[in-house]
Amino acid sequence: MSGTNDKSLLLLVRHSPYGSSLARASIDVALAAAAFDQAVSLLFVGDGVLQLLPEQQTEQQGVRNQGKLLASLPLYDIEQVYVDAEAAQRYQLDLNTAPLNTQALDREAMSRLLLTHDHLLGF
Amino acid sequence: MVLHTLNASPSSAAFADCLRLIAPGDTLMLLGDAVYGAVTGSPDRQALDSSGAEICVLREDAAIAGLDNRLEGATLLDMDGFVELTERISRQLAWY
Repeated sequence: MSGTNDKSLLLLVRHSPYGSSLARASIDVALAAAAFDQAVSLLFVGDGVLQLLPEQQTEQQGVRNQGKLLASLPLYDIEQVYVDAEAAQRYQLDLNTAPLNTQALDREAMSRLLLTHDHLLGF
Repeated sequence: MVLHTLNASPSSAAFADCLRLIAPGDTLMLLGDAVYGAVTGSPDRQALDSSGAEICVLREDAAIAGLDNRLEGATLLDMDGFVELTERISRQLAWY
């Protein structure tokens, strides 16, 4: 598998946690890539920041808790997590309460982030 | 440089998110319902132009939409041209 580890992967997470299956799919891809020792970063953009709200209550709904799934990512060495600062502001999201450590980026910084990764996947 | 492929209508979140992350020097390929964003003189087209990216439109999708003569200044590409673009720009991001 030589040559597979030197490419960096950025997942752009753009959808709310429970409106579609895309949020789950992005986690699945992140974990799969991490399992193969690929460098994975996540960028939560637009409605994607809604996945970072604390206190998501899924017990009664029979769905997996997206916030808890995200909280587990550092266990898989996924620690490069970035957030659309404007969207966080729009939804009054306090990043200090998010399920994992994140770094807030403005628009220009997000554009630059795209250029520092080899592969870009949008969810 | 990033090749953004956008396949969502101008009123969608995907379209708005894409516009926010696109940078001067990038190339934007409009497909499907996104072709309506390139209509000459529309606010969406103005937003696309002010991004500083090169605006390309898939010719067959524009034709189906009835926009053949309403896309001044945009680069119209057929499927071969689109494939060529994907060969030239390796860093690609799909918005849908």
